[in-house]
Amino acid sequence: MSGSRHLAWLLLAGLLALLATGVRAEAVGTLGAMGSDTLAGLMLRWGEELTERHPGIRLQLQASGSASAPPALTAGTVRLGPMSRPMRKAERAAFVARHGYPPVEIEVARDALTVVVHRHHPLEALDRETLDAIFSRTRRCGAQQAITRWEQLGLDELTGRIELHGRNLTSGTYGLFRQRALCGGEYRHTLNEHPGSAAVVAAVGETRSAIGYAGLNHLTASVKALALVDAEGGLHRPDPEAVRRGDYPLSRSLYLYLNLPPGEPLPGPERAFLDLVLSPAGQASVTALGFVALPEATLVSQRRRLGLAPLPHD
Amino acid sequence: MSAVRAALQRRRPRAEGAGAWLAAGCVALSLLLLGALLLLIAVRGLGHFWPASVSLVELDDGRRLAGRAVRELPLPDGEGRERLYFTGNRGLDGQVWHWLPVARIVAESRPRDLVVLERRRWGDFIGRLVAVEPAPDAVAAGAGNGATAWAQLEARLAALERLREARDTLQRETIRPLARRLEADPGDGEARRALAAATARAARLRAAMDETILVLESVDGRRLRQPLDEVLAARRPNALSTWEKLAAWMQGVWRFLSEGPSAANSAGGVWPAIFGTVLMVLVMSLLVTPFGVLAAFYLNEVAHQGRLTRLVRIAVRNLAGVPSIVYGVFGLGVFVYGLGGTLDEWFFSDALPTPTFGTGGLLWASLTLALLTLPVVIVASEEGLARIPDHQREGALALGATRLEMLGRVVLPMAVPAMLTGVILAIARAAGEVVPLMLVGVAKLAPQIPVDGDFPFLHLDRKFMHLGYHIYGAAFHGDDVQAAMPLVFATALLLVLVILVLNLTAIFLRHHVSTRHAAPSRR
Amino acid sequence: MNLPSEAPPSRTRWRHRRDRLATGLIAAGGIGVILAVLAIGVFLVVEVVPALAGGGLAVERLHATLTPLAWGTLKAAFWALLFALPLALGAAMHSALFMSPRLRTRLKPALELMEALPGVVIGFVAGLVLAPWVERHLAVAALLLVTLPLGALLAGALWRWLPVALRRCLPLAWAGLWLVPWLVLLGWGAVALAPPLEGLLFGGDLRAWLDAELGLHYAARNALIVGLAMGFAVLPSVYALAEEALAGVPSGLTEGAQALGATRWQALWRVVLPAAAPGLLAAVMIGAGRAVGETLIVLLASGNTALMSLSPLEGMRSLAASIAIELPEAAPGSPDYHLLLLAALALFAFTFLVNTLAELVRTRLRHRYHRLGGAP
Repeated sequence: MSGSRHLAWLLLAGLLALLATGVRAEAVGTLGAMGSDTLAGLMLRWGEELTERHPGIRLQLQASGSASAPPALTAGTVRLGPMSRPMRKAERAAFVARHGYPPVEIEVARDALTVVVHRHHPLEALDRETLDAIFSRTRRCGAQQAITRWEQLGLDELTGRIELHGRNLTSGTYGLFRQRALCGGEYRHTLNEHPGSAAVVAAVGETRSAIGYAGLNHLTASVKALALVDAEGGLHRPDPEAVRRGDYPLSRSLYLYLNLPPGEPLPGPERAFLDLVLSPAGQASVTALGFVALPEATLVSQRRRLGLAPLPHD
Repeated sequence: MSAVRAALQRRRPRAEGAGAWLAAGCVALSLLLLGALLLLIAVRGLGHFWPASVSLVELDDGRRLAGRAVRELPLPDGEGRERLYFTGNRGLDGQVWHWLPVARIVAESRPRDLVVLERRRWGDFIGRLVAVEPAPDAVAAGAGNGATAWAQLEARLAALERLREARDTLQRETIRPLARRLEADPGDGEARRALAAATARAARLRAAMDETILVLESVDGRRLRQPLDEVLAARRPNALSTWEKLAAWMQGVWRFLSEGPSAANSAGGVWPAIFGTVLMVLVMSLLVTPFGVLAAFYLNEVAHQGRLTRLVRIAVRNLAGVPSIVYGVFGLGVFVYGLGGTLDEWFFSDALPTPTFGTGGLLWASLTLALLTLPVVIVASEEGLARIPDHQREGALALGATRLEMLGRVVLPMAVPAMLTGVILAIARAAGEVVPLMLVGVAKLAPQIPVDGDFPFLHLDRKFMHLGYHIYGAAFHGDDVQAAMPLVFATALLLVLVILVLNLTAIFLRHHVSTRHAAPSRR
Repeated sequence: MNLPSEAPPSRTRWRHRRDRLATGLIAAGGIGVILAVLAIGVFLVVEVVPALAGGGLAVERLHATLTPLAWGTLKAAFWALLFALPLALGAAMHSALFMSPRLRTRLKPALELMEALPGVVIGFVAGLVLAPWVERHLAVAALLLVTLPLGALLAGALWRWLPVALRRCLPLAWAGLWLVPWLVLLGWGAVALAPPLEGLLFGGDLRAWLDAELGLHYAARNALIVGLAMGFAVLPSVYALAEEALAGVPSGLTEGAQALGATRWQALWRVVLPAAAPGLLAAVMIGAGRAVGETLIVLLASGNTALMSLSPLEGMRSLAASIAIELPEAAPGSPDYHLLLLAALALFAFTFLVNTLAELVRTRLRHRYHRLGGAP
């Protein structure tokens, strides 16, 4: 008898509390994420802001490369997988085989690979064949002749052998550059493989005869990013506007993969996190870290797809 | 003639020949290299915290920049030099560095009103402070001059610091525990209500922090509105006296030691890394001491001293020379994937497929390093045991002690200092070892340190930060090597100091031991 | 005094049982620990051999991947030893035979501290400070390499002509210390002298000259830089072992030679060195073992180019560095994983073998000294 009365009181109190906090219950929990180290800084920044807005939520991030995200998502280790490249077919298939549905792909920022040279390098732009002839030993993009010395480009001020700098085998950057800039060919053996993009930029910034590639967010004043020349002779500079439009040929999207059964609503912590990421404040962090923010249309459409509240327009 | 020669030869000592001098040169050169390396690390590491003056640079085309000169190099054409300035203001320029040809600089001054703001999101701001909004009294916003605005800023920063502390306390003592309770039992209505109230309070605190806006102006006249909440520290380096700079320097050192990293590890402090290193080393020494001593006792006191024992002894000794990367591979394959995977299946199967112990973590890192340093401890302990004269043992046995009593009451106390030396050497080795950790559990940035208020307080499954790995990460994985360099040097200095102190302790102990025990053992 | 015979028999029995139990426990624990330590080799073999035998690793792939790495490892070790051995052995000879005992007791801890310097610190300084500096000042670096050894010789030649009083202040026994400022001075001279020399001999740019005249390409991260950095890391351990071997030679031998009219250097060269040669060999082997397994220095200073070139001015990639950056991302059980484990096995086998040989040689040597009636 008295039990049911207690229950009623409790229910009433609960209802009042809910009303008092704006109907929605405060989300609590720990968000696990595993994947790209390109995105690590950004994820951590978002994690900090998330905890500030929703003190009950924490983000736990493990950043050991894009390749680590799909297995972790498939195994169910984490629900969020940041990746600096889209999932491959095989990775996606493995996920579907395990869970019965594909992972949700969310574009969270854009980035570009830039070809960098020393700040006092005479070169300003390169076309695709030349780039391939410099970096690869296979020359799949159609160059006739290997280029190993700067003289071959007709530069007067700079002679000597070209020193190549790039990332190590397991990084997503290494694979992307190989696929896009080398037409899927093989790197030369003389490539210096650095453990991080910052190291590539630092090395190129010290040597005039060097050339390398690195993400847009790693550029410093010590190096110069080259423009790329397309087949029609158009110049494409790696500036944020061009990357946002998708004009720059080596631009890429950065993704967050989410394990969410179709038809189910987003769980509280994930909802709060994505709400932040796909908001102007979250995208401001993207710009602050040197990446390129998403166009508003993309934000709006992705928010709609995920069932998040529409952006407040002011 | 020959007499003169003979006299000369008599005066000159007998020549030792070129070889002796070359050999002496080798000693000198080794010392020189060691000294140069230590000096480089010390100077660059300690210089990082000195609040360097900011110069206002005017170029011949009328451009104005404010920044800290960092380095100077000759231009590639061989004529003239260029200078690198750290100018901050990433939000305005999209870039924090500027290389300027020295020949184009027409004027350089150090105005006292230049401020340097350390910000959370956009890095440093270098420029002028125009006003603080909302203005506290009748002074119209935007019209306040630099000096009054600076005084206001200092007052507001102090107030902000109090608000931050209040928020952190709320977060740590109220919200975290409630969130954990809710995670464990989502139906806990009381906790949910309390949490909602606490969150509301946190939101109010946050609103109070967001209130103040700084109006800033870069030296070339662009304006910027900066919420004060984002500002971590503010300083006018050109207006500081040497003493104030010294105070700022000491404060910088303290912040470096006591705070967490920021800006993707390229700035901020190293407290979590210090903590992680020390904790890992502690756990490791707890593991390595008993096992190392046990093995030494077995080898020296129990085992039959035959050919097999000799071979085993040589093998153990040699394991000290096996590359640490091999231990890392072993740790990954056996501890993490093997033992960890099995533990997960047995005890944490409800959490699977999320690995609890099946991934790198503090426990496995400590175990791997314990294995790595076992030979060191075994060898040192054995040396200590071998130094104890046999008549001590025989005497104890003759008086009727059992072997255990002999070992425990006579041999062990005499061997303790040698064992301690071994353990300290092991700790020194482990503190500087990074390679195995890269495979078995170090993290670039672990937001949670492995010790907290959650039961069971020490989380052996968590990843941790490490000073050595912090150096590697900041120098090669960060966003900007140039920006991270001072921090890397400071961290390297700290690591070297820790290792020096440990080694000196070991050397002192060994010296102490050998002078105390040498006399009875030799004769 | 509680004599054992007065104790009740039950207590004695209990004590003895406890003793046997404890001894057994110690033995079991000790054997367990030793087995655990030795398990490293077993684990690697168990993981790698089935994959090799089962055809999980294609031979061509193995060959293509591991050959440049093995080459790079040996190349790095070679240049490290080339730098470290003369320095370490020279320092050992000086400190074993010429140095004042007081300085020697101070020097040993200093070099032990040098051994304790973490690889990550040395590697980062080599990769981010030394390599760019040498690249900008190639001529200075080359000149320094020539000047510093010559400087020591020059000091010896000048010393003989010094006035007696000054000579007494600067004895050979303390030369390890007072030569340091002299070398600094010479180094400073080399820095000042290099640019004009470079202009005179190499047209102002040694790098371009090397490229044009000799066809040698200078890469910023090269075997010389790695050798210098790793030599620095290897030096102390070689020094310690060599010094031990030299100092252990029974003093009767040296005294006899000197009594027969040999100078100290002659005694060292003709008598002590041959006697201690096996010990020096052991020191060299231990040094080689360390150089082969050193990971971070090579990773951070070598540029990781999978090249197979002889030129010391070009980079290389080593086995250990490859394992360190690639293993965390290789899925367990995959061919890549097994390949890297094979690399680890190779490192393990090499170092273990070399160290065992060195240890055997050292044991033999200790017996010989014992026979010759020397110190322990």
